[in-house]
Amino acid sequence: MSEAEGDRLHQALLAVWADPRGWRALSAVSHGRIGRRFLLTGGAFFLIDGLLAMLMRAQLARPEQALLDHRVYNQLFTLHGTLMMFLFAVPILEGLAFYLIPKMLGARDLLFPRLSAFGYWCYLFGGLILLASLPLGLAPDGGWFMYTPLSGAAHSPGPGADVWLVGTTLVEISSLAGGIELTVSILRGRAPGMSLDRMPLFAWYILVTGLMIVFGFPPLILAGVLLELERAAGFAFFDPARGGDPLLWQHLFWLFGHPEVYIIFLPAAGIVSTLLPVFAGRPLVGYRWAVLAAIGTGFLSFGLWVHHMFTVGIPLLAQAFFSAASMLVAVPTGIQVFAWLATLWTGRPRFAVPMLWLAGFLAIFVAGGLTGVMLALVPFDWQAHDSHFVVAHLHYVLVGGMFFPLVAGLYYWLPHFSGRMPSERLGRWGFWLTFGGFNATFLVMHWTGLLGMPRRVYTYPAGLGWDGPNLISSLGSFVMAMGVAMLLLDLGLHFRFGRRAPANPWRADTLEWATALPPAAYNFASLPACATRHPLWENPALAQGIAAGRHGLAAADHGRRETWGSEPLSGRVREIVQLPGNSWLPLGAALALAALCLALLAGAYGLAGAAALASLAILLRWSWVNGAHPLAAPDARTEPGDPPLHWRTFDGPGLWGMGLSLLADGSLFFSLIFAWFYLWAVAPNWQPPARSPLPALALLLDGLLLGGIVLGFRRLVARLRRRDCRHLEARLWGLAAAGLLQALGLAWILRRTPLAPGAGAHDALVAAIFGYLLLHCALGPLLTALQAWRVRLGLVGERAPYEPAVLDRWWSYCLLAFAIGYSALVLLPAGWAADR
Amino acid sequence: MRAGHPLQLAVGPALWGLWLVAVYAGQALGCLFGVEAEPNVRRGLNVLLGAVTLCIAAGLLWQAWRLWRASPPSATERFVARTGAALDLFAALATLFVGLPIAELPPCV
Repeated sequence: MSEAEGDRLHQALLAVWADPRGWRALSAVSHGRIGRRFLLTGGAFFLIDGLLAMLMRAQLARPEQALLDHRVYNQLFTLHGTLMMFLFAVPILEGLAFYLIPKMLGARDLLFPRLSAFGYWCYLFGGLILLASLPLGLAPDGGWFMYTPLSGAAHSPGPGADVWLVGTTLVEISSLAGGIELTVSILRGRAPGMSLDRMPLFAWYILVTGLMIVFGFPPLILAGVLLELERAAGFAFFDPARGGDPLLWQHLFWLFGHPEVYIIFLPAAGIVSTLLPVFAGRPLVGYRWAVLAAIGTGFLSFGLWVHHMFTVGIPLLAQAFFSAASMLVAVPTGIQVFAWLATLWTGRPRFAVPMLWLAGFLAIFVAGGLTGVMLALVPFDWQAHDSHFVVAHLHYVLVGGMFFPLVAGLYYWLPHFSGRMPSERLGRWGFWLTFGGFNATFLVMHWTGLLGMPRRVYTYPAGLGWDGPNLISSLGSFVMAMGVAMLLLDLGLHFRFGRRAPANPWRADTLEWATALPPAAYNFASLPACATRHPLWENPALAQGIAAGRHGLAAADHGRRETWGSEPLSGRVREIVQLPGNSWLPLGAALALAALCLALLAGAYGLAGAAALASLAILLRWSWVNGAHPLAAPDARTEPGDPPLHWRTFDGPGLWGMGLSLLADGSLFFSLIFAWFYLWAVAPNWQPPARSPLPALALLLDGLLLGGIVLGFRRLVARLRRRDCRHLEARLWGLAAAGLLQALGLAWILRRTPLAPGAGAHDALVAAIFGYLLLHCALGPLLTALQAWRVRLGLVGERAPYEPAVLDRWWSYCLLAFAIGYSALVLLPAGWAADR
Repeated sequence: MRAGHPLQLAVGPALWGLWLVAVYAGQALGCLFGVEAEPNVRRGLNVLLGAVTLCIAAGLLWQAWRLWRASPPSATERFVARTGAALDLFAALATLFVGLPIAELPPCV
């Protein structure tokens, strides 16, 4: 292909891929744009949150200081933790992953671009709701983990706790969307030949993180819904007088909360494992060990949650399990640290600015890990619990383990955003001020804690030995702030004065450096095969071949966005994934959800219902403009020899998206069932009625009807696989009607069951579980009817058989959840009562 | 499931997770419903939890051995099988280490 042809290809691709300008930019969905928005918004939240921290340190600098009163201080530390964890750490790392993953995998975009755009808007609106609460004087003040009963209606009567619950739930939806998006994109959207064992390590870490988000966030979403139901509607879940238990909140919160720490750490470790080899000039020592460590850490992190609850009165044996598991997590972390050290040892490290931040990370994170092992020891934890020692530890782990690698990564990938290189001198000043200030603040804080100063006190009397250490910590925090300011200055100036970045400026090995700097909206003019872990080290001229269109999918005259869909294990190309273009639907859906949240906060339940219906309508429209729909597929022709478009097959990314969404949904339902058994076994005032109010036979018949629908749907999909489309529309209408009958039956049973969810936790959980089932069973017939309509319009059929296979999973999940709910709520209590 | 299947990377650690939940819940429920039992009877709970622990650890070790000896057809599947074997071994050792207190501590104090 000549240079002129390369230019023509570039123009043709831009016509399809370019983000719109002006106010229409709000409809952009490309991963580059969405990733940058996440990074910028996360950065803004970080700076605002840093100011809150400065205020707190100013207050604590001297004893009996009166800069802030206890009410404001409580709001500040609650928002500081909440914003840093939910609005900075997770979203900014997800944003970086959104930006980098397709480029590293040799793809043009993530596989669900509208989902990541929807995630961004949910994040922005949830964050703004949380942030706006501070100037309005409505900020939550119960600490970032919102323990009950403090966060219950009796002790936190104002709207602060509701703001927290509603705002974070919106942000959690965003994180969940990101987790699903990234996992499917990594498994199904890689370059041809990029098998699992050749995947960049950053993608491995993000894959593990994505799966952790899928399983880890739903318990907190559930906990938030339950607490809001208790606060707003009087349901009983956490109130011991009515058969609930405040410790249920702690279990659900930390079932999310501990994996959350590693959800933050693992992407950062991925940055380290990507950068260190580049600056050491050699591959990472122990690729397989790093993969093993990432997976091991991911799993172990789900088995540590009780170590946050060592002081709540759990038997010693149970504490010992979690103490041992907590110590054990040092093993995979240690493997990673030794792999990094061995890489440095055997390479020739260049101490450029990103490398400085990595060195700072190693020093701080290892120290934080060691105090973590100390806190894993139960007797030590009893001593240090709720003291400033814990505050120091968590900042060593989170700032050392996340912020330092993040800044290293930002410096490293800066040429991607500006096409320019950062300044070495300002960069070094920024690092040393931050590093020094951080240690002055938090190293000293360990001693403050050991001297007995509790966390979350707004002031302290003089003469307890806390004055000096607190003053040093406050001074240190201001030095750290100067470091961050220096960093910002450097970033700002480099856009104007930085020297132009050459191609692959750091001599890196991964594909994101085979793009232009900054990259075009389509990333690669042609998509290369990748049969090695280090494509740019083995073929430094790869970028020229890509730009000249010498590789795959080098055409855009069909007017559609597309990338390869590959097999998860081997990376072999299986289909062409047709991607949606710019769309207002994600913004509309997120706006409707934000309106729902605000209406709930205002107690305007009619408006909340209308907003919920609006968001459902927009999401259904979203699902409608898919596959063979003319707006989604203006030209569905492919080149001879190319694989089919994904919606002409039975195994496109949507099937994986549905599978992962149902795993997340299952994690939420599992948490709900856990709550049922937990309260049944543990809550002192749990009082089940002598005879269950649920009509066992009617429910069984309803469940059997559901089973019949699932069987019918299975058969329908099996016929479709045989390309037998006879009576397809009629069958779908029939299944939709049966589904409607089943959902109405369930609603009728619930209506006829005398439940008093405000009187006791038993009835509250029965209502919650059956409400969950009803919601799922009601969506089934709606989605099935839409499929029947699509068959009528020719959007689903022999040449587009994909969507019923996706919906099949939904129906199967409904049946499984129904069976589990029926067993837990009807069969087991009946068997238990008969036994006694 | 074949030795080179990607889910081999999750089976061992997931089994460890299920075991942890099982012994934690088993200990809590055993103490709850056996609160009036004799101390010796309650110590029987340790024997039960210990037996479950040893069985799971043995199963994980066997699975690690099976995967290590497997010879899948492609390099990628071999990578998965070997990494899966190492994760199974790690999960087995984690089970034994975390289960160690069952040998020493009374269950309900």
